[in-house]
Amino acid sequence: MTNRRDFLIGGGALSTGLLFSPAILAQAKPRVVVIGGGAGGATAAKYIAKDSEGKIAVTLVEENVNYQTCFHSNLYLGGFREYNSILHDYAGIQKHGVEVVRARATVIDSDRKEVVLKDGRRLKYDRVVVSPGIDLKYDSVPGWSQAAEEMMPHGWKPGAQTRLLRRRLDAVPNGGNIVMIAPPNPFRCPPGPYERVSMMAHSLKKAGKTRSKIFIIDPKEAFSKQGLFQEAWEKHYKGMVEWLGPKVHDGLKSVDPKTGTVVTGFETYKNAALVNVIPAQMAGAIARDSKLTNASGYCPIKPESMQSTVDANVYVLGDAAIAGDMPKSAFSANSQAKVAAMMIRGELTGSRTFAARYTNTCWSLLETDDTVKVGGTFEAKDGKITSVTPFVSKTGETAQLRKETQAENMGWYAGIIADMFS
Amino acid sequence: MMKMRVKMRHLINRIHGLVIAVLATGLMVTTAAAQSPPDKAFGVFLSSQCVTCHMLSGKSVGSIPPIIGWPEAQFLTVMDSYKKKERTNALMQVVADRLNDEETAALAAYFGSLKPQK
Repeated sequence: MTNRRDFLIGGGALSTGLLFSPAILAQAKPRVVVIGGGAGGATAAKYIAKDSEGKIAVTLVEENVNYQTCFHSNLYLGGFREYNSILHDYAGIQKHGVEVVRARATVIDSDRKEVVLKDGRRLKYDRVVVSPGIDLKYDSVPGWSQAAEEMMPHGWKPGAQTRLLRRRLDAVPNGGNIVMIAPPNPFRCPPGPYERVSMMAHSLKKAGKTRSKIFIIDPKEAFSKQGLFQEAWEKHYKGMVEWLGPKVHDGLKSVDPKTGTVVTGFETYKNAALVNVIPAQMAGAIARDSKLTNASGYCPIKPESMQSTVDANVYVLGDAAIAGDMPKSAFSANSQAKVAAMMIRGELTGSRTFAARYTNTCWSLLETDDTVKVGGTFEAKDGKITSVTPFVSKTGETAQLRKETQAENMGWYAGIIADMFS
Repeated sequence: MMKMRVKMRHLINRIHGLVIAVLATGLMVTTAAAQSPPDKAFGVFLSSQCVTCHMLSGKSVGSIPPIIGWPEAQFLTVMDSYKKKERTNALMQVVADRLNDEETAALAAYFGSLKPQK
């Protein structure tokens, strides 16, 4: 944290005017443009506007009218939530003084300190927050492409794909098989594919389609909460879920969207009723086009602030950032946004800053009233965001505890939505 | 100069835990009080990591309880119970474990100062 001594040094500087930034001296309101209205961007925009009490002009650039949460979209898939319950608007954020510009931001002109919008408009900034989420690598699965995403949906970016996947799941006949192509690391929501499999199995079981089976073709040797998921699949969906690691399938060779075929080194799956391709991922286009990414496809940041290591006027949040031990989750993005908001206010208005600390928890619903969680606290250490106090649910927990964890999951959803949007 | 001093005083008054004397020359001499009251501004920052789950409005959904408007002693006792693993929630145990006494006190002061929305 900024200790008292540091603050007092700051206080001394204040009396001589050294702490005033040029923006304050010019008496023009400093401007922050936030790109992307998800868990990172919406939170950052709200907190900067709210906590600066009108001293900073905040503009949020978001192309969609509503935000559909990726988190809990698996619960929609499994029939545990209505679609409308995962849709939210930006009216609450505007009440804090945030100007919401409905447009797509295409690139950051760092020389002129302007965000360029698709329609040609330019927004001036003193600091810009980049929180665009992920883009899919359509060329990472042989035989699959953007043109094939209707036939083999990904459901990994919110909106029409989420609903398409649900319709396709509901249409799977009893005995029809589902093949999921799981993504390589690093990707959005590490437990997400496996919670999705649980929700798919729940849906099949509930509809009496117990002759159907879900095959997971995974390029990874291991995955998030693996023991917990596999225990649940054995307990709730015996014989319906088969996870295949790279040694078992010998690599994904190709898919054929027209015939529903998936070819691995050792097996060919024909006539699948549903193939869910979750491809490799990278930071959203504006981060790449503004040269904020490194060879990994994601954006390096300073762990003590979320400031881009490429451009000091840029902060990168959420899935697009390389956040050390923090997973790409909504909770992480929301947590990072608050650190960045505090640091940006400190830079632009001279407000107090404290040492960054971060939190994350990811809940996964396995079956009705059976939920597990993983998470912990994090801080800047050894040049990265480092896990300090991790925790994860245990196998064999009581039904009562799992039920309470699901109630916590629902409480968290309501909480983060209130935190982002009201 | 006078105006600047008033602004400084206003700012300084908002910082708990400091005894500040402004000398005629305009220089500041400062010492930390022996028994510092909780740093509410620090509590506000720390609280931002709590309010992802615990709503600032004081509303409660699912099993996540409201934590605003509590007497500070109650807040400190509950967090101490998590630290000692007397309360079982694994998430809250690590959150409590991460906080030192000064930080927990700052949170207790901040959340304690809030009133639930009706």
